[in-house]
Amino acid sequence: MPTDQHPHGGRRPHFHRGRRGPDRRGDRRPQPQQSQSQGQAQTHGQGPSESNKADTINVDQIVREIKARIAQRHGIDLSSSQIQELAARRLEAILDPRTLKPSLLDQLRQNAGAPAAIAPVEPAPAYEFEDHTIFDTHNGLLRALRNLLKPILKLFFNPNPISHALNAQARLNKEAASREMERERTQSEWNALHYTLVQRLVTEIARTSIEMQSLTLRVESLSTRVDHYERRVRELEQGAQPASQQQQQTPSAGVPGFNPGRPGGGETAGSGSDQSGEGGRRRRRRRRSRRGPGSPDGAQDGSPETSPAEMADDGGPDDMEPDAPAEAPAAAAPDTSAGGPTDEP
Amino acid sequence: MKLAIVVQRYGSDVGGGSELHARYIAEHLAAHADVTVYTTCARDYVSWRNHYPAGADLVNGIAVERFPVERERDPRDFARRSAFVFDHQHSVHDEMAWLDAQGPVCPALVDRLSRTLDSFDFVVAFSLRYYTAFHAARLARHRTVLVPTTERDPALGLAIFGPVLRSAGAIMYNSPEERALIEHLAHTEAVPGVTVGVGSQVPAHTDAGRARRAFGLDKPFVVYVGRIDVNKGCEELFDYFMRYCAHHERPLDLVLIGTPVLPVPSHPRIRHLGYVTDQDKFDVIAAAEALVMPSPFESLSMVALEAWALGRPVLANGRCDVLVGQCQRSNAGLYYQNGLEFDALLETLLDDGGLAAEMGQNGRRFYQRHYAWEVVEGKYLAMFDRLQTQARDAGPAEAAPGWVERRRRHLPPATTLVSAAPAGPARETTDLSGAPS
Repeated sequence: MPTDQHPHGGRRPHFHRGRRGPDRRGDRRPQPQQSQSQGQAQTHGQGPSESNKADTINVDQIVREIKARIAQRHGIDLSSSQIQELAARRLEAILDPRTLKPSLLDQLRQNAGAPAAIAPVEPAPAYEFEDHTIFDTHNGLLRALRNLLKPILKLFFNPNPISHALNAQARLNKEAASREMERERTQSEWNALHYTLVQRLVTEIARTSIEMQSLTLRVESLSTRVDHYERRVRELEQGAQPASQQQQQTPSAGVPGFNPGRPGGGETAGSGSDQSGEGGRRRRRRRRSRRGPGSPDGAQDGSPETSPAEMADDGGPDDMEPDAPAEAPAAAAPDTSAGGPTDEP
Repeated sequence: MKLAIVVQRYGSDVGGGSELHARYIAEHLAAHADVTVYTTCARDYVSWRNHYPAGADLVNGIAVERFPVERERDPRDFARRSAFVFDHQHSVHDEMAWLDAQGPVCPALVDRLSRTLDSFDFVVAFSLRYYTAFHAARLARHRTVLVPTTERDPALGLAIFGPVLRSAGAIMYNSPEERALIEHLAHTEAVPGVTVGVGSQVPAHTDAGRARRAFGLDKPFVVYVGRIDVNKGCEELFDYFMRYCAHHERPLDLVLIGTPVLPVPSHPRIRHLGYVTDQDKFDVIAAAEALVMPSPFESLSMVALEAWALGRPVLANGRCDVLVGQCQRSNAGLYYQNGLEFDALLETLLDDGGLAAEMGQNGRRFYQRHYAWEVVEGKYLAMFDRLQTQARDAGPAEAAPGWVERRRRHLPPATTLVSAAPAGPARETTDLSGAPS
């Protein structure tokens, strides 16, 4: 919004300040002087410059980053089907196909949650074994001859025990087949139950781990906020010291218009005020550690972290941040910045 | 140079993207050519009921000839025919019946154009899917400069449009995405074309403070401008915004400008201003934190261009390829695909004032570079010059199918063809700024 159109006198309203995290723009921060001159150029009808400034931000990248952040933070918002899909992938990893027959796995998947559908075992050919069975034949003449000669045969041995034994064996076979079928059905039901249990357990573990991830992020966020409030309380406590005490601690405080944190603030800013210089270094270190060593925003080459435009920009949210804790060890992070204490806005 | 502009509706009080597009183009080309507009007497695009008197008219200094619509649209018949040609195997005859059912059926306009065609150098026909543009382009063939204003709509998959597109003298596309889609479906690579779009009558000065006072907009707000309709994604926008309100205490209103087709929810943070003047609209946009464009189907969002012209960022529906392409090419808008993204991206825009301002600046540059009137007019004039100097060997007209062939139901469902076409935003901008190709 052009500054002349903004209801807050060219500055963003208060809610734009101090509520964002690390500065995603890095060195993309617009320079107020440039914006003003561009605005003037357009007002005078000269049209915008055709420079490549549009490339300084990449909306595609911003959208992708935000999508990734959402995916990370709102994992818990995954739908149940998505969680089940995730759990299925984890289950695949648990059920190692190298140690498990693929057909068995398929069967388990099919049986899971469904009543066991056991294919009936083909029963052994049922046969009755009676006393007359050994003499049976389809040939009537032969059957009549055998019946005629049966008494003669019984003179040599008794066939009845053989018939009884075979009869018992037939009965045993039938019972064994029935028992086997029942055992397979029970086993299949157990397998399905076990598979369902494992599947549900894995799903629950997946859900819990996503929830845990989300809670971890929340805890991190809350602890950062607690840290921030602690620092703020400490700062307020320091600010509540009597004015006379402050004057004693800061000899230059009485000089009208003196601002140790700004360029051109006087020689004493760089040489005399150890407290502000140390505070500035601490603030720089804190920002750098927040951005991380690999961040492109960080001053990797030892160049001053802030541009002159940034120094002049007193509306940035960073200005709202409290100072580092007073007890932070000064030697904890060596200061690699080439800029002196006056670099700080 | 004499130009005939053919459009389905025309008037200073006619809303709608392509109609406004046609009016702007007519008014700007009038500075370079003798322009006559051929249009219908309809004002309502749903019924095509005759509203304006037939005959000659003058709109903002442009000569307009209006012709009566022969019959109003029967919505049920149109819906039935649409469902048939979009989702079933059908014939050319079915497609022609669909075109007539859609309307506005205005044979008097076509007759008049056929009688006066020789007096015009070019016929600029707007909105291919309508009866008027279709028949005008068929009549004028290589003297047609076609402005299809199509979106990713099943109608573009109908077979009747292919020959019309291929026989046109030139095609003025609204976006690279539209061009890619049309070239894929109708094989119009040989037809001279350029991506133009349209400018807007953005005032030189806006007064955001006045709009805030006039409408009582005391809180920061995002604005939606356009028809408040389900088809424009407004229902989804209401859901997302109310969800946003439930999760955030930030004082932020959603301000709506436009005619409601959908009931506006009664919510303390949703404000409906109704239909406002252009100056009010631009002032409100200038006062807004961002413009929200929830429509999933757009061939060119003029409101987004207006917001960019005023230096405001845009939050667009990420399911619309054209909007995503515009946001990416301009680096001046963010795009969401669901409620969570809407929430996060809106927060980003509101939290990071510098980012929003920079995107606004990018938008302003993008508008000036591609959609300023001198650029748009220049592209049209360059195309007319090219068509006049390089007589295109259009070849013989494609043979029209015979009586039996027209009735043979062998054409695939239009939806199948359109959904199979490549999707996604186009990244290259050479076509936008380059010469016609």
